[in-house]
Amino acid sequence: MELFVQLLANTLQIGAVYVLFALGLTLIFGVMKIVNFAHGAFFTAAALIVTSMVPFATVELGVPLWAGYLLAAFAAIAVVLSIGALVYSIGFQHVLKDLNGSFILSIGLLLILNGAYLAIYGGAPRSVPQVLPGTVNVFGATLTAQRLALVIVAAVVTGGLYLLIERTRLGLALRAVAMDQEAAMLQGIPYRRVALYGFLIGAALAACAGVLMAPINAVTPVSGDEFLIKAFIIIIIGGLGSVTGAIIGGLFIAMVESVGGYFFDPSTATLAMFILVIGFLLVRPQGILGNVE
Amino acid sequence: MNIGKCTRPLGAATLMLLLAQAGAAQETLKLGISAPMSGSAATWGLGMEWAAEQAAEHVNEDGGVTVDGKTYNFEVVTYDNKYSATEGARNAQTMLNRDGVKFIAGSIGTAPVRAMQALTERNGVILFNTAWGKSVKGPQFRYTFTQMNTPFEILEPFYSFIKEQHPDLETAVLISPNDATGQELEPVAVETWKSLGVEMLASDWYERGTTEFQPIATKIASLDPGLVDFSAAPPTDVGSILKELDVLGWEGVKVMTAGTSVEALMAVAGDAAEGAYLGASADFSSDSATEVQKKLNAGAREALGEPLNGITISSYDAILALRAAMQEADSVDPEKIKDVLPSVRFDSSYGPSGFGGADVYDYPQQMLIPVIVTQVVDGKAVELTRSNPAELEALSND
Amino acid sequence: MWNKSFGVWVCVALAISSVLFALLATNGYYASLLVWILTNAVLASALRFVLQIGELNIATAAFFGIGAYTTATTAVLLGWPFWLTLLLAPLMAAVLSALFGWVTLRTKGPYFLLVSFAVTEVIRLIYTQTNVIGGNSGLVGMFPPMAIDAYYPALAIALLAATLFALYGFERSDLGRLFKAIENNDAIPRSVGLNVVFLKVLCVVIASAAVGLAGGIHAYANTVIAPSDFAYFVAVLALAYVKIGGEGHPFGPILGAAVLTLVGQWVAGISAWENIFYGAVIVMTLRVFPGGLVGLAERARGLVTRSAR
Repeated sequence: MELFVQLLANTLQIGAVYVLFALGLTLIFGVMKIVNFAHGAFFTAAALIVTSMVPFATVELGVPLWAGYLLAAFAAIAVVLSIGALVYSIGFQHVLKDLNGSFILSIGLLLILNGAYLAIYGGAPRSVPQVLPGTVNVFGATLTAQRLALVIVAAVVTGGLYLLIERTRLGLALRAVAMDQEAAMLQGIPYRRVALYGFLIGAALAACAGVLMAPINAVTPVSGDEFLIKAFIIIIIGGLGSVTGAIIGGLFIAMVESVGGYFFDPSTATLAMFILVIGFLLVRPQGILGNVE
Repeated sequence: MNIGKCTRPLGAATLMLLLAQAGAAQETLKLGISAPMSGSAATWGLGMEWAAEQAAEHVNEDGGVTVDGKTYNFEVVTYDNKYSATEGARNAQTMLNRDGVKFIAGSIGTAPVRAMQALTERNGVILFNTAWGKSVKGPQFRYTFTQMNTPFEILEPFYSFIKEQHPDLETAVLISPNDATGQELEPVAVETWKSLGVEMLASDWYERGTTEFQPIATKIASLDPGLVDFSAAPPTDVGSILKELDVLGWEGVKVMTAGTSVEALMAVAGDAAEGAYLGASADFSSDSATEVQKKLNAGAREALGEPLNGITISSYDAILALRAAMQEADSVDPEKIKDVLPSVRFDSSYGPSGFGGADVYDYPQQMLIPVIVTQVVDGKAVELTRSNPAELEALSND
Repeated sequence: MWNKSFGVWVCVALAISSVLFALLATNGYYASLLVWILTNAVLASALRFVLQIGELNIATAAFFGIGAYTTATTAVLLGWPFWLTLLLAPLMAAVLSALFGWVTLRTKGPYFLLVSFAVTEVIRLIYTQTNVIGGNSGLVGMFPPMAIDAYYPALAIALLAATLFALYGFERSDLGRLFKAIENNDAIPRSVGLNVVFLKVLCVVIASAAVGLAGGIHAYANTVIAPSDFAYFVAVLALAYVKIGGEGHPFGPILGAAVLTLVGQWVAGISAWENIFYGAVIVMTLRVFPGGLVGLAERARGLVTRSAR
């Protein structure tokens, strides 16, 4: 029993980050119909900024750790939004709905951004002190307070996004564009502006994941890329462009990793994940909740 | 390379290009480095390049190498092998056939090293490498020399020492990354623990690039072994697992054979890394480090933001070995140098050194440097023991 | 448009002079450089070949690997004769890609892109976990027979060039026109009674056989192969060649491969800046001349407006 609670706790911890990461990717796909290979670079940028801002805020400005972290979090998200707006205006807005063109453009941007991070920060892993030290025990499963906070924040952000999509005018526009761009434009929805907002929200979600992960894992210039492949699997399973699908897919992949890693070994679990996704596509090519193209 | 260093922060990539193309001054010997300069292992490549540049500078300031009445300066040229065999082979082609490199002073990654070796051996080019496999060595590879300790040097003294510290140790779990180094190390590790009377409860693999380690930690904690050996896993991965193990309340002996960087380990694991044994880390800022190493280490920290480790410092030692061999052979012909290297004596950054390992590899092509066991105490690597290989002892007693 | 037959004859002349150059060159580096360029050109052309039916096939990297592993396994582990090992590479790639295509080509667009990506990763992971073929260390020691060794670069260039011409031939044939029809709208060919899935599979098989042969040639040219050489990134680079050369013309991927391979060699040795430079080249090209270099040339000639894609 205790074991299953622990495995469930592991699933939620792993899944929380996956969901945030995959949500951004799937949202961007939904509105722009592009596969953004540089999505991990947003995550990395945010995490790297946190690692340099927190020491600056606590030492130079003399604020307490939690305040320094919050300050760094806002700075990181702001910087990522600027990077997002920049790459959108110089690149992505010219390749909207061009799957291959946007794919290769995002690869080019990824090479530039990763090279820049390496040049600025060096390759050594960086870290920030834990903002919430200590461990907590939930129904027999142990996890760090920091991880618990991550799960809660991720749940809140995901919930917020869901409300935004379902309840606001912007959300309605995003959904309309994702469903049928031309029809949406005929209804007077400014496609380009909606696409930019969708892109920025996606980038902000990745930044959010980066901010949350910075106190937990070491940050390197390639940290974000390692989530990217998992996120691809998740959005295939969930259905490209589906918000609910990304949540279900994220938790599902986290469960495979958690349970498979325990009963077999992580290497086998990784392989199983890929085989699973291929099998999945064959049975249900549009994903759990995807629309048929 | 000083100009290159100044322009770097300015982002003048084009200038670097010109420099890379130009440097063919008459009496300059190019020393190649083939290492990952991008991706997750870039930190090794950057460190190795830096240490090599220091060695070259040191040699050049000493007046270069005078051979047969002619004086040569060293110049370091670095190639990104992206950790892959294809790029390794292409690096080798470019170095040998385009840039006329006759000496490779450092290479990282088993797959690219093997790819390079196919060419260097046929073309008679000296290849220094850090590959951990036995497969790159042997009398058929006379131009190949290993510049750092490998599992065959480290494991026996390292594991025996740990077992002495914890005599009642009975069970262990081995966690290996699924890469070339992990695959070379795993069987030797299992065998060595067994010979010391430690039972292996599980030997598990994980993919490089894994970000979440709770599943494997949960498994280890439920097996509850006396010791966990992280074999060839890089410090950041080990740090993540140790942190999760700490949360789950596991306590036992932590062993990192390929533990190179304590800083990286501490950055991730914090207190959870306390007490871990490291097999490939040397604290080059400690009292037992040589003056040269202390200076290099401080310089690297300044320039790269990271201290040196057993891998990155090895290019420095290789270059000093090459200088000694060139002087000894009174030639810069790799053909002659390869015959001199096995018996050459030189001052490595660790102190006097030479080559050995004929018992294990049937050919003396392993650089003899001490096996240093360190332990994490209060977040710092503390040297516990430093054992010279028997051959090195014999050599210094001569 | 270029004058078709004139362009082809120029390419034939280029291919013949490349082979002659490789035979006569005293410095192995430049012959090897030609082999790399042509290997990349085949990868890019094969990727573009499948783009004809509108799909981006990341598994191009996987079939390149399957060709290389087929040749390496039969040569090193089984000791089969050189020509047989080289012949098996495209055959194996063709057979497996038929299976792959039959299973995966019911998906389209981004789904096919991602499933082909997943397949590439699975195959790479399988190599790493199979000890017989060397696991992560891969296989080493594929040497052409002594009699051929000195001429191997010339042979490789000839075979790779022939492969490029074959792909061109397919594209210009009636079959090629059918592929293009599928891209535009697969309902139309279906409505006239054509088996669209069969045609799509055929397209993938032809392209995969081409990269399979390139893989076999690569195995001998490199003498070492390892799983990491066949990661999805190979296909990503191939797409970069296509995009930069220009996908509107069969010569585009070849030109793109040549330019980027040469640029890549030129920047080798500038360490960390290499990636930034490479990325900048890709982004700049896409932004400044979206039709690629060929598109630029065509525009400059002012002969016709750029082709639709």
